[in-house]
Amino acid sequence: MDMEASKQALREQFEPIVTAMGFKFSPDKEIVEFLLEQEVNLHAQHGIPFCPCKGLTGDRTEDMGKVCPCIPWHRAHFDRMKRCWCGLYVHLDVDDPDKLPQIPEELG
Amino acid sequence: MTKVMMYTLSTCPWCKKTKQWFNDRNIPFDFVDYDKAEKDEQKVIQDRVRKENLTLSFPIVYIDDKVIQGYSPDKYDEMMSKK
Repeated sequence: MDMEASKQALREQFEPIVTAMGFKFSPDKEIVEFLLEQEVNLHAQHGIPFCPCKGLTGDRTEDMGKVCPCIPWHRAHFDRMKRCWCGLYVHLDVDDPDKLPQIPEELG
Repeated sequence: MTKVMMYTLSTCPWCKKTKQWFNDRNIPFDFVDYDKAEKDEQKVIQDRVRKENLTLSFPIVYIDDKVIQGYSPDKYDEMMSKK
């Protein structure tokens, strides 16, 4: 597996999708590179690029909400944080992602 | 002696930052990398986290009986300085 080519493939696949939702890749290049690498590995392991910061249960319905980009499943939560949980994506107007804390999701 | 326990993922950069925060301050802690744990231990973690009304989003840190989800250095600082 060519890691860089695989990361680029994920980048090209995700960018138009998240842009349409008002998000972009984080300006924090280091985090983006690390997270994409983890997703390439998760993709190789599970056949799906799951979020590197959410635990899987093996329950297909529950784990579907952890498939990157998982923004649609957590829209209100991520809009509140102006970032997704793992920090791969931020709102389009975000320049300094370090200022955006992880806030627990409010369950119904 | 304050007991710090955390659930983490080996793939999560915020989990790495959380471990680093406590290591930098020589605060001992236990941790379980959820993705490296056996299925039955994962189930125990799922049940405990659900009881806290939390999702399986990591890191999840217990400082004595208080739980903090997400990388939150300010909260760690605040809670550890009370001890």
